[in-house]
Amino acid sequence: MSVELKIVCFEDIFQYESGEKSRFSDEYRQLSAVILLDKQDMASLGVKDGDKVLVENEISKIVVAAKTTDDEPHAGLAFMINSVWSNQLLRDDLCNASVPRFKGITARVAPSQEEVTQISEIVQRLRA
Amino acid sequence: MTTCTGCSLLCEDIELVLKTGAISEAKNLCRKGQGHFQALFTERTKPMIDGKEVTLDQAIAKAAEILKNARTPLLYGWSNSTLEAQTVGINLAKKIGAFIDDTSSFCEGLLMERILNGKIPTCTLDDVRNFADTSVFWGTDPSNSHPRHLSRFSYYPRGEKRQKSYEEERTCVVVDVRKSATAHLCSNYYFRVPPDGDAEFLESILTVLDGKIPKTGDKKRLIELGTILKKTEFGVIFPGPGMIYSMQDKMDLFEELVARLNEITTFKVIPMVGHYNMRGFNQLMLGQTGFINSVSFRGGAAGAATTHGPEQGVALAAKSSDAALIIGSDPLSALPFGTARALAHIPLIAIDPRRSLTTDAAQVVIPSALSGLEAGGTALRMDGTRISFEPITESERLSDEQILTRIMEAI
Amino acid sequence: MVGAMEIYMLLPKTNCKKCGLPTCMAFAVGLLGREKKIDECPPLIEEKKYEAKLKKLHEVMAPLENASETGLIIHPEKCFGCGNCVVACPVNVAAEPTRCAVGLGPEGDKVILRVQDGVVLANNLKECRRFGPNKILCNACTATCPSKAIEFV
Ligand code: SF4
Ligand code: SF4
Ligand code: SF4
Ligand code: SF4
Repeated sequence: MSVELKIVCFEDIFQYESGEKSRFSDEYRQLSAVILLDKQDMASLGVKDGDKVLVENEISKIVVAAKTTDDEPHAGLAFMINSVWSNQLLRDDLCNASVPRFKGITARVAPSQEEVTQISEIVQRLRA
Repeated sequence: MTTCTGCSLLCEDIELVLKTGAISEAKNLCRKGQGHFQALFTERTKPMIDGKEVTLDQAIAKAAEILKNARTPLLYGWSNSTLEAQTVGINLAKKIGAFIDDTSSFCEGLLMERILNGKIPTCTLDDVRNFADTSVFWGTDPSNSHPRHLSRFSYYPRGEKRQKSYEEERTCVVVDVRKSATAHLCSNYYFRVPPDGDAEFLESILTVLDGKIPKTGDKKRLIELGTILKKTEFGVIFPGPGMIYSMQDKMDLFEELVARLNEITTFKVIPMVGHYNMRGFNQLMLGQTGFINSVSFRGGAAGAATTHGPEQGVALAAKSSDAALIIGSDPLSALPFGTARALAHIPLIAIDPRRSLTTDAAQVVIPSALSGLEAGGTALRMDGTRISFEPITESERLSDEQILTRIMEAI
Repeated sequence: MVGAMEIYMLLPKTNCKKCGLPTCMAFAVGLLGREKKIDECPPLIEEKKYEAKLKKLHEVMAPLENASETGLIIHPEKCFGCGNCVVACPVNVAAEPTRCAVGLGPEGDKVILRVQDGVVLANNLKECRRFGPNKILCNACTATCPSKAIEFV
């Protein structure tokens, strides 16, 4: 089972604070490697809060924890905090005005048995 | 008093007491600023070449050598450096014929360009506090990104003409794709837009301002919004990344909206700049090159024309450069996969107070003093106000300005 | 935050009046307003069948017991340090007209709310408008908080 979702990124003060102290801590990973989903999408995926999901698009793929939002219904739309994790899914091709599309990631989300992607893995991929 | 360099509000009322190994007391510093200054005590960088600790002199010499031998070097970062450091950086770029760019080419640049060129009217944050009765936060959540924005300027303080402030005289409107913390504070006037729906929303506002019924969206609420905007005496729009990414090449439409609003009443625009001195870099670049970012000095001081455009921006320059100097920024974690990957494949020189993905991947690491705490200088707040600050503690680490000057001398 | 209804559900619901109030609901409201204490309901304490309820009641009432006399509870772990409450609090504004009133952090020590080490800190709570015989229903600090870091019981 998987769903195709739009992902919009946002800033969170607690995660930012943690990243200022260290980009390599477990705390920073726990705060960053999360995707916020609508109840309905959680149900279609058959996942509960804290379950791991694979988020994949033509750029890259990452495993993060799923969490239900308490926002108004927004099925088909997911949110991620700006971080190296969300940036893995981001295109850098330019639009007319030369601005990369930081928002509007499209990705396929599916339940996963794997562990959350570690920062060391991401670094390896960037250098590969 | 200390100035916080945690975001582009550059709060100057911070009282810090430092003890070895920790900040023992920090008054008025928000959570974001607190995290920013904690960096002083966590994961500091050391001078390194190829992962081995070296002396500062060796690191600087190696950096100069890399830049000298590069055919198409890129100098990137800048929005977390003082005006003084940026000035040396632009001179360095000229001297070695480099690409130079900052984070704004990914973000606020599109709007900043129009502000700095006078196409969109702006004002200072002090004007906002003193006169504004309507603030519109569009695609931004200052409670998380600029935590003291609402308390210092845009919603809660009393100002010259706004003694009754938020209780009676100020209205805040939030336009966003999600109900952010700021949207909760302004929930009566929170307008949800779908992703990439900002242009359509903007057109609907133009329609109601013309006294017509909008074709899409919640007509009643849009008309209500139109009424608030029309009744405003002094309005300010604060567009953030969310709005800019969504509008992209339709930014002319935003310019049209602001012009239309100004036919009715007074409306100003202040971009929600992220890093503490992004605006400073843009303004310096504009003065020296006619462009706010994304410039190449290829051809060097010898005088080949400076060029500007997407090809000179970091996203493409990262792929055509053979070395890069990164200052006060962690592009490996903050930029999209493709750009980060391209940077990870060329020799990097990282100047940073603190360990990051970029310093880990860099061939040369040069530790720097943390602005505001260990180094002084000048910066431009998000509204263009010039703020000067002195260091509050001694440090053996050099400032960005000193490091860049030494690299330049060694080339 | 716990409500009167939730507390009521944990009382005997017999309206026996031994607490001096006419109904269990009135007692629940009294508990919430901290005018009454749990052990003022004799059946709940004495009768074994209410043991589980009593235990649960102690649990839900625990955060209230930490509240200041004004009923102000601060959750520093939720606080952004944004200073909205500092600037909005009428006592702060009156105490520092050139600082808090215009958005700056306080200098003196007469204020109730201030931000220290990135989070809010409350002092001088006896000055709070919700306190004392002339109390009014001020909610400037809770209404301006983006993170529910301040609450009243
Ligand atoms: S609002 Fe920005 S500048 Fe002011 S204290 Fe917080 S992080 Fe620092
Ligand atoms: S003493 Fe207890 S059971 Fe009796 S009325 Fe009061 S609350 Fe209810
Ligand atoms: S209730 Fe009113 S007076 Fe009391 S601390 Fe809050 S804002 Fe200040
Ligand atoms: S308690 Fe709320 S309003 Fe006060 S500083 Fe903390 S987050 Fe801001």
